[in-house]
Amino acid sequence: MKINPILQKDIKTKLRGWRSVILICSYVTLLIFILLIYFVGNDLIYSYTMPSFNPRVAIGGYNLLITFQFALLYLAVPAIIATSISSERERQTLDLMLVTKTPAREIIAGKILVSIAHILLLLIASMPVVGVVFFFGGIGFPDLLKLIFFYILTSLFVASSGVFFSTIFKRNIVSIITTYIFLGLMTFGPFLGFFAYSLLNQMTFSPTYRSIALSLFPSPVFGFLSFYFSGTSHYDIFGSYYGHGLFSSIAYEFEVLIASETGLLRYMQPWIVNGIFSVLFSLLLILLSSAALNPVRRKK
Amino acid sequence: MLHVENLTKRYNGTLAVDRLNMDIPEGEIYGFVGANGAGKTTTMRIIAGLLAPSSGKVFIGGIDVFKEPLEVKKHIGYMPDFFGVYDDLKVYEYMDFYAGLYGISKQKSRGLTDSLLELVRLTNKKDAYVDTLSRGMKQRLCLARSLIHDPEFLILDEPASGLDPRARVEMTEILKELRSLGKTILISSHILHELSELCTSIGIIDAGKLIASGSVQDILEKMSHANQVKIRVSSKEEEAVKILMEIPGIGSISSVVGVIDVNMEGGDEACVRVLKTLVERDIPVVSFQPVESSLETVFMQLTKGEEQ
Repeated sequence: MKINPILQKDIKTKLRGWRSVILICSYVTLLIFILLIYFVGNDLIYSYTMPSFNPRVAIGGYNLLITFQFALLYLAVPAIIATSISSERERQTLDLMLVTKTPAREIIAGKILVSIAHILLLLIASMPVVGVVFFFGGIGFPDLLKLIFFYILTSLFVASSGVFFSTIFKRNIVSIITTYIFLGLMTFGPFLGFFAYSLLNQMTFSPTYRSIALSLFPSPVFGFLSFYFSGTSHYDIFGSYYGHGLFSSIAYEFEVLIASETGLLRYMQPWIVNGIFSVLFSLLLILLSSAALNPVRRKK
Repeated sequence: MLHVENLTKRYNGTLAVDRLNMDIPEGEIYGFVGANGAGKTTTMRIIAGLLAPSSGKVFIGGIDVFKEPLEVKKHIGYMPDFFGVYDDLKVYEYMDFYAGLYGISKQKSRGLTDSLLELVRLTNKKDAYVDTLSRGMKQRLCLARSLIHDPEFLILDEPASGLDPRARVEMTEILKELRSLGKTILISSHILHELSELCTSIGIIDAGKLIASGSVQDILEKMSHANQVKIRVSSKEEEAVKILMEIPGIGSISSVVGVIDVNMEGGDEACVRVLKTLVERDIPVVSFQPVESSLETVFMQLTKGEEQ
């Protein structure tokens, strides 16, 4: 099987030496530390009301870890990818790639694969830590696979946005800033729009899952909500209230709204809706980036 | 091998290349000469398929560069006027990477890399990191990279720029070897006497226009109607300059401590006329030496010595 040469080169150079080993070890240590702090903190808080360890605390820990991973993915991928083409241009190696018989779309694909490979590496390295939750039940291996799949789709979306801006802007710094602004707008814009609309139409506004999905589908945070409430519920096995804050409450409302939905949408959880958008939008950005990179179409 | 037809490139209204026509037969080494900003690099980038022209056509081996860009790239080796290297790669990894971009298998690439590194005299640096190489070595590595897919046509933009005399000689030797291998080469350089040694034909570009093209000898002969003469006088230097200025057909005159450089139009007859006038006017001429035409003088005459 032919591996994309750009991916091959990047893996070779990035994984050489101790730098990447130290990075991965630091990342896993950080996750362990976060989980430990969470467990110790919960043990202190609930030591009077719950004499024994509540397994749902582990699920809360899992939620915290995946949120941290998601935020890291969202913040780290643009930093890796948003300079991918512009740095080749600055290093004066872009022309040397374009003069080969590798088409522009394969160069773009190679750059995107590099960032997805980085994220996969960190995700796989963190599996033993995230897997701690298996000891307590509630989260299954398929849930984890589903989550990784969603992370990959989100990485694809973030990476294609980064590579697009990296292709159209010549300077690294401009490309990075534009990518973050764009991702910020795509992530929080739909929520702001939705809340603004609901505030303006308080009297008549009665949200359904369909209307929410149609408003929030571009935002990966909307998709991520699927995983945040996975395995958790508002009430514990004894019927006592056991909330995990704002996101769990929103997630719970979603569960209710999705259950009341009819047709295909009933089976389209937020991560599927957002995942489909991510794939389609990424394909569009890849096509646009390839066209912008194609030398005979460039005017300068 | 190369056929360029009415190639024009405009940048925001500025004409960088103006209706340029060029033909390079197979096996030729064509020297592309021009001042900075004359349009050499722009032309070469268009030929390499890295830049779209405003109008015109380019064919390499009969293939249209803009209609079949991927097909034509199999036949082109391009070396720009900058290094373009990844510092965190070893020399053989660098070659492997570009072999991969040309779709060459790993096994085949190793053999090719070995022979190319031998050609550019870098075999002993195979396992060295690219950032540890000297400028000359990096240039040679770039040349080896441009040959990884065994192209028939090479586009070399200032391959010897910034090199010390030894590295320049080494580069020239390698280019001579490539010539003996039957490659067709389009090469630009500022070092004109090296080009005249190496090239079978040359083209002179000025302000985006190809103002002369042909074999080196043809161009020198065509320009032989314009002469440069060095006249040494033992005294009356200022008077000699005044007399020379009165003679029709005299171009530029410059004098430094008894030696007067004169550019004039016309062949041997003009020389005889100038010498006769000076002697008749009692100028003590010690020597009268026509300067042999070189690529430099031809270039200066054709481009009128203007820096772009």
